[in-house]
Formats: sequence, structure tokens, C-alpha cells
Amino acid sequence: MSTLVEELKVKLISILNLTDVKPEDFDEHAQLVGGELGIDSIDVLEMVVMVEKDYGITINNQEVGQKVFSTLANLAEYIEENSP
Amino acid sequence: MTLPSVYIGGIGLICSLGGNPEAVEHALRRNRSGIRPLNLFDLLHGEPLPVGQVDALTEISALPRTHRLAQIAADQALKGIGEPPEAIILGTTTGGILTTEQLLREKEQEILAYRYHGLHSVSDYLAGEFGCSGPALTVSTACSSGVVALAMGLAMLRRGRVRTVLVGGVDSLSRLTYFGFHSLQLVDRNGCKPLDLNRQGMAVAEGAGMLLLTTDPAAATHGELLGAGLSCDAYHPAAPHPEGEGAFMAMQRALRDSGLNLEDVSYVNLHGTGTPDNDLAESKAVNKLYPDGHPPLSSIKGATGHSLAAAGAIEAVVAAICVSADLLPANTGLQTLDTELDVEPVRQPETDSVDVVLANSFGFGGNNGSLVLGKPRTKNSNTSRQLRRGFGIHGYCCLSGAGKTAETMGGLTSGGAVAGRAELEKISEGLPSRLVRRLKRLPRMTLALATGACENAGLDGSKIDSVYMGTGWGALSETHDFLERLNDSEEQFPSPTDFVGSVHNAPASQVAMMFSATGDNITTSGGDYSFEQALLSAELMFEGDEVSESQALLIGADEGHDRFSRIFDQSVATQKELADGGAAFCLNRETKGARCRITIPFYQRSTTVKVIDMLVKTLVDRQQGEPKIVAVLAGLPGALREQAEGQLKKFHQLSSLAAPVIDYRKFTGEFASASALATALAVSFVETGSVPGILTDGADIVVERHKHSILILGLGQYITAMELTA
Repeated sequence: MSTLVEELKVKLISILNLTDVKPEDFDEHAQLVGGELGIDSIDVLEMVVMVEKDYGITINNQEVGQKVFSTLANLAEYIEENSP
Repeated sequence: MTLPSVYIGGIGLICSLGGNPEAVEHALRRNRSGIRPLNLFDLLHGEPLPVGQVDALTEISALPRTHRLAQIAADQALKGIGEPPEAIILGTTTGGILTTEQLLREKEQEILAYRYHGLHSVSDYLAGEFGCSGPALTVSTACSSGVVALAMGLAMLRRGRVRTVLVGGVDSLSRLTYFGFHSLQLVDRNGCKPLDLNRQGMAVAEGAGMLLLTTDPAAATHGELLGAGLSCDAYHPAAPHPEGEGAFMAMQRALRDSGLNLEDVSYVNLHGTGTPDNDLAESKAVNKLYPDGHPPLSSIKGATGHSLAAAGAIEAVVAAICVSADLLPANTGLQTLDTELDVEPVRQPETDSVDVVLANSFGFGGNNGSLVLGKPRTKNSNTSRQLRRGFGIHGYCCLSGAGKTAETMGGLTSGGAVAGRAELEKISEGLPSRLVRRLKRLPRMTLALATGACENAGLDGSKIDSVYMGTGWGALSETHDFLERLNDSEEQFPSPTDFVGSVHNAPASQVAMMFSATGDNITTSGGDYSFEQALLSAELMFEGDEVSESQALLIGADEGHDRFSRIFDQSVATQKELADGGAAFCLNRETKGARCRITIPFYQRSTTVKVIDMLVKTLVDRQQGEPKIVAVLAGLPGALREQAEGQLKKFHQLSSLAAPVIDYRKFTGEFASASALATALAVSFVETGSVPGILTDGADIVVERHKHSILILGLGQYITAMELTA
């Protein structure tokens, strides 16, 4: 699990171009969308694409998406639970 | 002066519902939908999504689909009209992209094959076909483009610049828009049902709507264009303001512009895309405008789909049909009304007296526009307004290969060319990294220019109300990266971020967000004359009389893209090294305390008979007391150099103007909005009171306040003149 969390930190920093964030400073329990990092609905869609592409999991329901992307830890948990 | 009334003298329409206004009216009366699964191009995966496709247009042609749709609708609108329109204003977001996508897949290397890629090529094509010799302007404000084109046409006629204008909007289906909206999860797999409880989005569509606007009351065959209102949410690059603030402002401004009251409106044609967010925000705006109950309203996008830049123009034509045929179209596709929206749409088509229609269009970047159309009024009740000419420039900033203003001027005055591309890190200096993290080259250049101009004007930015931007090719990095990832992932993982950033108005909407600029937000794309078109838009639209303290930002910028600039811009293709840059200016109608004054006295197609004679007559036959032209900055686009040199020679012969000429592209490099950079140079010459001799191969030229002016000539396909008075 913790490997996945670390892996996701690096991925999110890269796809969302969070140039001023280091993986070790990324709090996986902090609010992800609408939080301090300024992550919004477009970033969520970019993360949806990444999750589908890299982990083979489709998220096309807004309610599920809201829960999954609430924190990075939740995202890791969802991927863990739903991996094919 | 009392503004002249503007009438609709001809209409043309092609969309998924039918190939002409009669067919569309017939379909609307039967509450029929034209939305079907896509079959225009093959997909590598999955079932095709429902779209609003024009099935009638099937034959293969070298001319892109957008151009052909535009021509069909324009033919209808101009039928029986003896003379060509004096100007054309079109809204489009796709240009020749569908053809370009195919050429890129085939790895076509011949740059001539890409000649119809540019957005401006659509209006240029129509200008050639219909013999229009005046300005052919292209507006690209995403899904509000069509309405913005009509608003500008209305302003042009009211200002008395011309007597007839062909206005409209057009977009064809393309992979970019089909996969782009899908990547944003804004497409309803079950078709489009605006205002429905179970609505899940739009159906991407295509089509064209065209209207011939005229000040001749005898030609008012399809009603009157009574008013227009624009606004910008300045809130988010793709999502509407959740309370519909911008939508409300646009409707309110349109009604105020028309001089009519709320109760005069017989029908509201909603933008109503069928996305959860749009319909909610728009309903809130309508209920705020009509707290005691709204007039009959509906969205026709469940019938037509959402044809993006064409939508506003198509719905303006539909509004004209509603007015002349007393038709209230239904909210096609609606099954279970979403009661949370608190609106009651027209469920079945009705015949009832329709005197006045209020029509909405909103787009990415929070670009909003509303129109008021109605039966022709017997009495001109337009308000009396003072229309001013020209602007005072209060601050400026430029960007070249050498860097920002100081480096550019330093490089030029020491005799070096400043052509090239500045480092992205250098351009981004001072821009908050969180704010620009999703932005690629053009939007970063644009924000850097906008903030630089405000700093130079001593403004904190809160005074910026409107943004007028010209860009020849738009956000090439985002467009390229979107198409490349679409292709590389075999159409499975297109980037929503790149799609949102790929629209031409994305950079200007970033500026609006940065400065909370909720006024006009207009992006023009006119090839080498894009900046001139932006200035012309500001001249038409920014009165600043209500908001005397506020200023507008006028911007011209283009990015040099390694792959796309070389195949799309034929002038760039003549060069080894890429160059890019641009400039931004803070301006308003107040010239007191300004650094200089700018006007745009001339804009004609170069095929116009005796065009240089006309130019000379406009510029050189000076009244006593008018400033003397002491220098000419001439723009000779590389691809048309020979033609442009001939035009310049003739200008000299006819004008016997002794002022030295600076062939500025030799210093700035080749890029579409190089004239913006040239304008910044001219402002700096005025400021320093001198044109450095090193640029003219002569002595320094003195520029005296109130006595002298500098001319910025555009040559080639169009002949344009901007004048900067010291």
C-alpha cells in the first residue's frame, strides 16, 4: 500500500505539473480537490485518465469520483481494492 | 447621435436538423431531433457517441468541411442580394482542423496542403467567394463565438463604418472536439436532454448559421437585431460560474442595449447544453433576471446538438424564424424535468405571437453572449450615444526572442535583431507557479504580457474590465499535444487539460481570471492581421463610457511551435529559426495623460480595386493641424513578400511620403502577431522621442508630441494601417 501511495505522489506531481511540491511534502491525507494545491475538476479528469491508463480502472461516476479523489490515500485504497 | 437600427436582411442555416431554414423550421415544428451516432469518421474503439452531424454533406473535397458548411449557409443568407457584403465577421473554433487531423495522420509534409487550417481561412474564403473587399474578421471565443460575431456586426453597423455585414458562426465535427468533450465527461451517451433530471451532457455537433445584417429598413425581411450583451465569468477555464453570474450579466446587458424591458421578451432561447453545470447555472441566471416568473423558454440543443462556435449564430437564425413564423420551439429531448432548476420550459412546439427573443450562448473561458432579436420596430427607439474613435495607450509590454520590453528595446537600438524564442522559464518569471502549472507557452506569454502592461501603466489590475486579444494560430502546444496523445494512445486517453487549453480564447480567459475582468473578452484570429482585428474589435466594442475609470487590455501574441508553426504559417516556413512574441497595451478612450493615441483608420482586402489609392487618400490627405507621419513600420509577411513589396512601392509612389520605412519583420522575425510587437516599438519611439537611425539606415528621427505620428502598415493579403500619435 505505501509503495502505491509513494508511486501516486510522484505521478500526480508529474501529471498535474506541481513543480513546487516534493513527494516527501505531499500529505496523502490532506484534501486533494479544492485543497491547498489548487486541484480542480480538470485535474480530476486528468487523474481519471491516469487511473484508467495505468491501473485499468474506469471511474465515470461523479459520486464515486468525489469519494476517490478526496485524498491521495483514498485514491490509493480505491486502486488497491479495484485492481483487475 | 441616435444609433441606426440594424435589420436582418437574409438568413442561412445548415445543421443536423436540416440543410436550410425551411427544413429546420419544419423539424422544430415536429419536435424532431437530428442527434444520431457519429459516422463521419471511423473510431478505433467503442461505440460511436451521439452527435449532431450534417448528413447531407458527404462528398470528398480538398476544401475543409467547416468552409463548406459556411459557404452553404452564406449562399442562402446572400441569395437575391445584389451587392457583396461590405464586411464579414465569423465565429469559428475548428477552422480546417478535421482536414488537418487527416493530413497529420498521413504525415503530409507539403505545407500547401495545410493552407486551410487557420481559423481565418474560413472568412477569407467567403470574402473571396462573395467578393467582400472590407474586413473579414474571425472571432474565436469557443461556444459563444457566433453570438460575439453578431454583437460585433451590430456594433460595426451602428458605428456607421459599413451598411451591410455578413455575420455568423460555423464549426465542423472533428476528432479534437469529439474526443475533447468526451475527455471532459461532458457528453451524454444517450443523446442530449437539456433541463432533464437525468441529463448527462451535450451532443457535440456541427453546422453553420449566417445572417446578413443591414441598416436598410427596406431589407428587414427577417426581423431586427435589437441588442447584444457580452460578459466574462473570469471564474474557471471550462466550468460556468456556479451562480450564473456571467450569464446574468450578459442577458442584462443585451436587454439594456436593446432599450427593451424584461416583460417585452416573448421567448428565451437558452444556451441549454444539457450538461449538469450549464443548465443549473443558466437557470439560476434566468430566475435572477426574472424573479417573478420567466417568459416561455427552451433549449433546442436536444434537437440540434451543440455546434460550438456555430451554435449562437444558428440559434440567432432560429430566433429570426421564431419571430417571423410565431413559433415557440420545444425543449426537445426532455423527459423528466429537473425541478431543482425551477424553470418551466416549452414542452411541445407552439404557435404563438413572438415579438422579441432573448438568445444565450456561453463558452469555455466563461465567455458569455446574449442577443435580443425581434420583429422590426416601426420607430427607432435606440438611445443616443457618443461614439469615440481611437484609444489612449496608458501602458505597454512586449516580448521578443531577446526577452521583455527592456531587453527587446535594448537589443533593437543596439542594432541587433531580436528574433527568436525567449526561454519559457524567463517568460514565466513572476507568474505564480500554481497559477500557471497547467499552462503551456502561449497562455504564459499572454499572462506575462498582460501583467507587464498593467505594471507599466501603474495599474494594480483591478481596473481592467475587458480583454481583446489577437492570435494568428492560438495555443499550438496544447493543440499539438492533444492530437499527439490522442493518436499515441489509439484514441483512448486524450488529455482534458490540453483540450481546454487548445481553444483560441484560453489565453485571454486566463487574463480575465487573473484580473477579474468581467467585461468583453474577445479573441480574434486573422492570420497576419490578428492584432489589427483585436484593435478593431476594441474600437467597435469598448466604449468605456459607463466605466470611465476602467481600462481594456489589447494583446497580440503567437507562439513559435517547432512542428505546427512550420506547417501552418507559410511565412514561418520561409525561415530557418523560429521566432515568436507579442505585446500588450492598457488602453481606454481617455487620451489625457496617455503615452500616445492609437487608431486603426484602414482595413481592406488587398484585391480591392485601387486599394493603395484608398489607403493614401485615408492617410496622407491631411487636414491642417493633423500630425505628420515621421516613420512607417511596415509588415511584409515572408510568404507574401514580393506582393507586399509591390504594395509598399506603390504606396510610396502615390503618397510621396518621405518618412523612412522600417521593414520590422527583419528585426522581430516571422510570426503572425509581429505587428503587436511593432506597435510596442512605436510606443517606445514616441516615449523616447526618437526613432533610432540604426533601424532605418539613417540618422535618428525626432518624434515630437502632438505634432508627429508613426504608421504601422500591414501588407500582403490585407492592407491595414494603425496610427500612433505622439
